[in-house]
Amino acid sequence: MASEKPLWPLLADAPSDADLSRCVHCGLCLNACPTYLITGLEVESPRGRIHMAKLVSDGRSELTASIQAHWELCLQCRACEAICPSGVPYGRIQEGARAQLDAAAPVGKNARRIRKFVLRNVVARPRVLATVVAPARWYANTRARGLVRRLLRGRLRVIESQLPHRVGAPFRATTGGTDADRADGVLFTGCVMGELFGNVHRATERVYERAGIRLSAAAGQGCCGALHAHDGDLEFARRLARKNIAALERTTGPIVVNSAGCGAAMKEYGDLLANDEPWARRAQAFGARVKDASELLSPTQGGAFAGTVAYQDACHLVHAQRIKDGPRALLASLEGCEMIETPGADVCCGAAGIYSLVQPAMSAELRKRKSDQFAAAMPAVIVTANPGCHMQYEAAVREAGIQARVMHLMEVLDEAESDHGAG
Amino acid sequence: MPTRRDLVRALEEAAGAKNVLWRPEDLAVYEFDGTIERSTPHAVVLPGTTEEVAKVVRACNRFGVPITPRGAGTGLSGGSVPAKRGVVIGTGRMRQIIEIDKQNRLAVVEPGVPNLELSKAAAPFGLFYAPDPSSQQACTIGGNVAENAGGPHCLALGVTQNHVLGIEIVTADGDITWLGGRVSDSFGYDLRGIFIGSEGTLGVATKVVVRLVPLPASVITLLAVFDTVQQASETVSTIISAGMIPAAMEMMDRLTLQAAEAGLQCGYPPDAGAVLLVELDGLPEVIDSQAVRVRAECLERGAVEVRLASTQRERELLWRGRKGAIPSLGRLAPNYYILDGVVPRSKLVDVMEVVSAVSERYGIPIANVFHAGDGNLHPLVLFDERVPGAKERVLAAGGEIMKACVDAGGALSGEHGIGAEKRMFMPWLYNETDIENMERVRLVFGNAGQFNPCKLLPTGTGCGEMAHQAAAIRAAGPDAYV
Repeated sequence: MASEKPLWPLLADAPSDADLSRCVHCGLCLNACPTYLITGLEVESPRGRIHMAKLVSDGRSELTASIQAHWELCLQCRACEAICPSGVPYGRIQEGARAQLDAAAPVGKNARRIRKFVLRNVVARPRVLATVVAPARWYANTRARGLVRRLLRGRLRVIESQLPHRVGAPFRATTGGTDADRADGVLFTGCVMGELFGNVHRATERVYERAGIRLSAAAGQGCCGALHAHDGDLEFARRLARKNIAALERTTGPIVVNSAGCGAAMKEYGDLLANDEPWARRAQAFGARVKDASELLSPTQGGAFAGTVAYQDACHLVHAQRIKDGPRALLASLEGCEMIETPGADVCCGAAGIYSLVQPAMSAELRKRKSDQFAAAMPAVIVTANPGCHMQYEAAVREAGIQARVMHLMEVLDEAESDHGAG
Repeated sequence: MPTRRDLVRALEEAAGAKNVLWRPEDLAVYEFDGTIERSTPHAVVLPGTTEEVAKVVRACNRFGVPITPRGAGTGLSGGSVPAKRGVVIGTGRMRQIIEIDKQNRLAVVEPGVPNLELSKAAAPFGLFYAPDPSSQQACTIGGNVAENAGGPHCLALGVTQNHVLGIEIVTADGDITWLGGRVSDSFGYDLRGIFIGSEGTLGVATKVVVRLVPLPASVITLLAVFDTVQQASETVSTIISAGMIPAAMEMMDRLTLQAAEAGLQCGYPPDAGAVLLVELDGLPEVIDSQAVRVRAECLERGAVEVRLASTQRERELLWRGRKGAIPSLGRLAPNYYILDGVVPRSKLVDVMEVVSAVSERYGIPIANVFHAGDGNLHPLVLFDERVPGAKERVLAAGGEIMKACVDAGGALSGEHGIGAEKRMFMPWLYNETDIENMERVRLVFGNAGQFNPCKLLPTGTGCGEMAHQAAAIRAAGPDAYV
């Protein structure tokens, strides 16, 4: 029955009327949305999902299982937000919508609880995460991997196919490396990034060192909270945000982030803590210091990198941080680097944080689009700037049956510069 | 008596269970388009083939429920809003470009293909699809056919009507037939021509053969900045009188510029009173000299600055702002009511004065962005529908502006279609006999009032005003059709 009152289970974090009424339902967002492209259904479009939030907000509909399903199929890639002429803050609306599910999901409560527990108690706890990742690292580097792979089925198979083919030593927040007092900036180490992609952190350090910027991996920092916020656990995301702000306020210079998802979330800490004075101001100041690793480098640094390179935009770099040309310019400046623009390079790959695990079917459809592109274009190297995408492209490369390396932008630059130096 | 459940079951048989939506909260997503019209369908079905469309139409006929075809729902006249509820047939799953024929410069597409996607696919062949509505990144060819869509570049190249060779349709009786074909036939009754712009009242397009035109050899885009809308309006006529037909000639007023610049960062001067965006295309030697003349005319008429887009990127940016200008007004107000009047170019200045007088008298801001070269106005009345009585006042203000267009010798729509609320203005232009004749055309295609009812023509019973039906709909209960 229709009523006048909003039917939000958790009013505090509900999508605001001001945000919702920004949408003039022009529909320009439809084809930017990966799930609309695949289904052709407006219920799986940004405009549709916003309207469902309006229905609940206007008291026209309860938060039903169907609405939940449509929201949960959203990748939160924010491609719609980037092209919206009216400036609808879709990411914020969707996080608010997820917060409602976190408070009172009509279905799948247990799965949500488990997910929330893992995100809070494994992902966000460095020592627990390290313990969990250790066997995966060992496995990724063992020779028996090819054999085991054949035996796996279902989600395990998905996870397995996403593991990088070699996992380097972890890179954790310490006071080691460059002393925080003498450093020009901070390297944000993150959670999964530091455990599975330590090599990328080391590459970033070296590239920045050569550019004359010394980075410290300042202690006290931890998980950025992006995964928690995307899942609707805004309360915990705020807790992590405050922790990072408190830890890194003691440092100076830019906070360099090489994971697009983390960078986007941290630039928006001000938004996340907007109603939390005095943290709001501190969060704003913190956000202004956050830079994606590609932002502070200039294409003039030189280096050689022979081969065909397909750069794939990370959603939270291109759509959330609006960084599109910079990384391409860095790659194009490398001697011998031949750039290939694959169609849909800026369309989500389906990794989307933990999406590939909770929505395996849609994730696989989107991955297939990428692997088809890779099979057609046959790049030697696929370059990305986010750990989730990195893992998804490892799987896409296997699916395409091609010999291509998946590398982080910083790894390419590092290799190019060191080869250059040696040659 | 058959219930809604029986209807849904019949639709599921026709198009597959996963392609039918029936939950109220899912249906609510299909209750609007780009306008302020609202009406929720009883069911939404997305067929995948022509045959499935025919089956769906026949099923609907068995149940006697109205049918409303829908592309991407970006329309600006309420054309795809199911005024009398019933079934919405969406073309979201029919988005294959079946063929691009380079030699004959045509393409065969399914109705759900987005307009811009077709031009992108044709680009490698040196061709493009000319009509370019501002919503082209989302709007579909099928919807363009239904509304006879235009766009900035229709000034020189003409609207959808001039670019469609043939259409495969499913009629209101559920028959599949072709109107026109792959070559332009110039004899006999032009049924293809009648179907284009029929706003979904004659059937559903299931395949469209469109003409493709060669990409221009070169393009020059100019942005002329004026202090007043009047100066810009006068310049439009001057340029055309000087014997030039630019590829496009667009005007934006101050409100629009501010919103577009805030939303799209396209380099517009937000303090200007108005700008003209003029595009010239053709052989470089021709348009270079034209550009000099356009510039001179603009300066003569009081332009404070004439900017030339020097790179492709700058050009794209200028157009990005124009194409996103209308929705960017969402930054200024939660709702807008968009008009689509056409006036003779020579009356532009007069009618624009009426627009600003109406805005002042009603105390409602009206933004203006329009295809100046065509005399096709788009006044956007800004308001907040949550304020009681606001919508009624806005509709009244809109009516006055439309009347002024008609009185100036103009028309009710240039490219958006008549749709729901403007059909009441049809008698301003047509007498009873005209409207009766149009009714007869509907009947020829088998539509006895069930195909997109309450659109285009002012006749038909039980249409009322859509927004006011909401209460009645709720009271009727979930299993009722009405």
